[in-house]
Amino acid sequence: MPYNIAMVSDFFFPQPGGIESHIYQLSTKLIDRGHKVIIITHAYKGRTGVRYLTNGLKVYHVPFFVIYRESTMPTVFSFFPIFRNIVIREQIQIVHGHASLSSFCHEAILHARTMGLRTVFTDHSLFGFADAASILTNKLLKFILSDVDHVICVSHTCKENTVLRASLDPLMVSVIPNAVVAENFRPPEPRPMPRPIAPNDIITIVVISRLFYNKGTDLLIAAIPRILASHPNVRFIIAGSGPKAIDLEQMLERNVLQDKVEMLGSVRHEEVRDVMVRGHIYLHPSLTEAFGTVLVEAASCGLYVVCTRVGGIPEVLPQHMTTFAKPEEDDIVLATGKAIAALRSNKVRTDRFHDQVKMMYSWTDVAHRTERVYKGISGDISPEEFYGYYPGQGWEAGRDRVRSFALIDRLKRYYGCGVWAGKLFCLCVVIDFLLYVFLEMWFPRANIDIARSWPKKIHQENKRLGNPDKGDRLGLAS
Amino acid sequence: MPSLPDSPPPVPPPVPVETHPNRTVGVKSTPTAPRALPDPTRLAPEDAYYTSSVPRARPTATGYDESLRVLNGNAASVAALRPPPAVPVGSRKVRGTSRRRRRKGAWKKLLWVKQSYPDNYTDTETFLDHLQRNPRVRPYDFWPLVADSTVIVQHVSSVAIFVCCFVGIVQGRVSPVSVVCWGSVGTALGWIFWDSWILREHVENAHGAERALEGDDGSSSSSMTSSVNPSGTSSRANGQKEHQVHGLGLSMAQGDSELVRRHSTWYVGDAYGGQEPGSPGPSNGMFNGSPEPDMSTFSSRNRQRLSTVKSAFLIYFALLGLSPILKSLTKSTASDSIWAMSCWLLIMNIFSFDYGSGEGAGATKFPASLSTNAAVMASTVLASRLPSTTHVFSLMLFSIEVFGLFPIFRRQLRHVSWTGHVLLTLGLVSVAGGAVGITLRGGWAAAVVGCILGSILTALGMGGCSWWLISLQKYKNVVTGPWDPARPIIRRHWD
Repeated sequence: MPYNIAMVSDFFFPQPGGIESHIYQLSTKLIDRGHKVIIITHAYKGRTGVRYLTNGLKVYHVPFFVIYRESTMPTVFSFFPIFRNIVIREQIQIVHGHASLSSFCHEAILHARTMGLRTVFTDHSLFGFADAASILTNKLLKFILSDVDHVICVSHTCKENTVLRASLDPLMVSVIPNAVVAENFRPPEPRPMPRPIAPNDIITIVVISRLFYNKGTDLLIAAIPRILASHPNVRFIIAGSGPKAIDLEQMLERNVLQDKVEMLGSVRHEEVRDVMVRGHIYLHPSLTEAFGTVLVEAASCGLYVVCTRVGGIPEVLPQHMTTFAKPEEDDIVLATGKAIAALRSNKVRTDRFHDQVKMMYSWTDVAHRTERVYKGISGDISPEEFYGYYPGQGWEAGRDRVRSFALIDRLKRYYGCGVWAGKLFCLCVVIDFLLYVFLEMWFPRANIDIARSWPKKIHQENKRLGNPDKGDRLGLAS
Repeated sequence: MPSLPDSPPPVPPPVPVETHPNRTVGVKSTPTAPRALPDPTRLAPEDAYYTSSVPRARPTATGYDESLRVLNGNAASVAALRPPPAVPVGSRKVRGTSRRRRRKGAWKKLLWVKQSYPDNYTDTETFLDHLQRNPRVRPYDFWPLVADSTVIVQHVSSVAIFVCCFVGIVQGRVSPVSVVCWGSVGTALGWIFWDSWILREHVENAHGAERALEGDDGSSSSSMTSSVNPSGTSSRANGQKEHQVHGLGLSMAQGDSELVRRHSTWYVGDAYGGQEPGSPGPSNGMFNGSPEPDMSTFSSRNRQRLSTVKSAFLIYFALLGLSPILKSLTKSTASDSIWAMSCWLLIMNIFSFDYGSGEGAGATKFPASLSTNAAVMASTVLASRLPSTTHVFSLMLFSIEVFGLFPIFRRQLRHVSWTGHVLLTLGLVSVAGGAVGITLRGGWAAAVVGCILGSILTALGMGGCSWWLISLQKYKNVVTGPWDPARPIIRRHWD
């Protein structure tokens, strides 16, 4: 059964980024599967109102006050009137929010529950528990997720993190990884017989990452001179910009490595592949990573991957494509040395990586798995099948997982959020409900026009058009 | 890898790659057993208030290593799991999954494999098994905590003494000159002690450098001092008591300039003392006493004294010249504002004061500038309420002694002699209590009552707060896991 789905997030095109492309790709593939998908985001500069993207994907750019890094001001209720209007106009059944730092998404989930819609939340990032910002974010997340129908995480580590942060039932959290458009990340095109690497051939190591602390740039800065000292026939290509770029350049000048290390600055997402195919090894010294899409992209381009064993990274790629290192300078030097040796001995069949990655990750698969979540929460799959898998075990835990819309049940769930927070959240929900009643009286549903849907295409045509070439104008994969 | 402390190689990887270590171990034995028991090698917060047997880091280096090892856990404890309440873990479910596993093949914590399990499948064996609770918590003991709180008590007492002196001056009960004279005498005595400690430290450092220099300078020097010279502590303690009695200062009038010279010597001495623990070699002879035969060190010491005298006079005359300006500084401001402002500034001083022990690298460091500035500003605005230039000058000088120099002395005393530190604390508390008593009621009876009452209240406060902090430890719940950003280990910097 096709659903009407609204993807809500602060982050969408024209802003580049991983979440943005995730939303776009997932929406496109869901449309291909016969669903109706709209995207609700805030207005970007020079982009307000309703837009259509490829494949009839409708985007609502709602004018809203942006405070910090394209996140909107968290005003709990002010989004409700226009959100209600959009939802009724588009006959939305499922509201799917993205990214835990997007207040737009949180508010949408709250209002959607008040309006009696099913909600899904996708978490893209990892958060600690120690610092003040994380504590605040986690509390807000707990508020929103205490009444959500289902949560999707991009890796198992991310799932553990989200379950802890929001005190969720783990069975209500699905793990659906990101994917890559494998066609956009092909190895070098004229592919003759893969030439074996001679002992004295130059091996190029590619690093594409924003140059921030948590991307491990310090490790990179420490490791590069040692790697280059012990392996004379190695070159580096570093793409990306950020606050640590100046440190990196200082290191190059100090060690006089300019002829061995090429710094490209920030590159657009569609150029990432062109940079990647120039190298043999992809080095990713990140300190925290929920999924690490760029690793998959690198492997898809036929690069051997050296990465730190942090966050969700160890789950992403099979062992024969990667060398793992501890987030220590010595270990990264060691692992890179091992990777170089493995390539030189021609043990690694990098030419097969692309096809293997194509088998592992595809957006079609992601859309398929997301669809199962939609089916589960809207009751098209029986709850026993969706949550249970314990036949004959007295399935009583599942009763609470099907979230009822009764206000008193919702209040019960919110009340458990904390001694003070619980009461505050209950107050918010009650006000939200009253606002809803008021809106129903003041702007009755009957007066809201129903938007016509984009004409559906036949499935075969969709398959042909399925590969979007526009849209992912990303500066850099994160 | 945040979940892993430094540990030997046989540690299982933090996140499973092919199959999970826990699975291979746990399934074959009874799967529920390892998670039902809390890990004995890792501290839970309950340890903080149920036992006091865990060795505290304070006493010796070996004890510290031992406790660190215990705290960080060893290889066996890395994969310990304590399930949070959110996770439904039960033997029923574990049985169910293990039966199903036989049917379906093991679930792997991997994303690239197509598995026959649903996306929301939760593997009860591996789920959250890299979660660590309180991996680095260090339980507090009662008495060391009380001992550490003496530093705060000392500072609060000296602030109280300063305020009482000001009130006495304003009310005309105490002559400002006598206050500053007593304070300066105390300062001078303090400097003499301080100088002698530095001297001794240098001599020992020189000896220590001849032997192989091991351990850290601060702790070794203090322990050596007490072992080499057991009688020294008592004499020092006596001097200490004198010093703080003088610090209260009631009736004496003489010789300002000498005292100013003394206190500015502290400034200079501090500047030298700040760098000496790090570099014992080059600054060795700097504070060598005059009986030493070494001529070069003698002259360097004299040169330094000369510069001290110079800077002392500079400060003295600057203060003297500034006093008339300071006197009329806040003439147009109401006294109420001044009281409120100085009150806030002193509170700021107390809260931003650097109470660190200063052991190791930062020994005898000058206290945090914010607190010192706040205190000097408070005394400036207070001094501007006073009637004459002499009053203003005296109060300013006294405030520099109390807020600028006395903390350095206290820190050094604590560093050198624990007995002296305790005695100084006792003296300060009783003097502060007495001063408050006199200020509130007047008369010596009030002083005695205030002294006793102040001491009792302080003792209760110290004990109560320490107990409170320890009892709060049970709420400590630090959760770490693979989602935390890893701390990169960088061996050497490229510069």
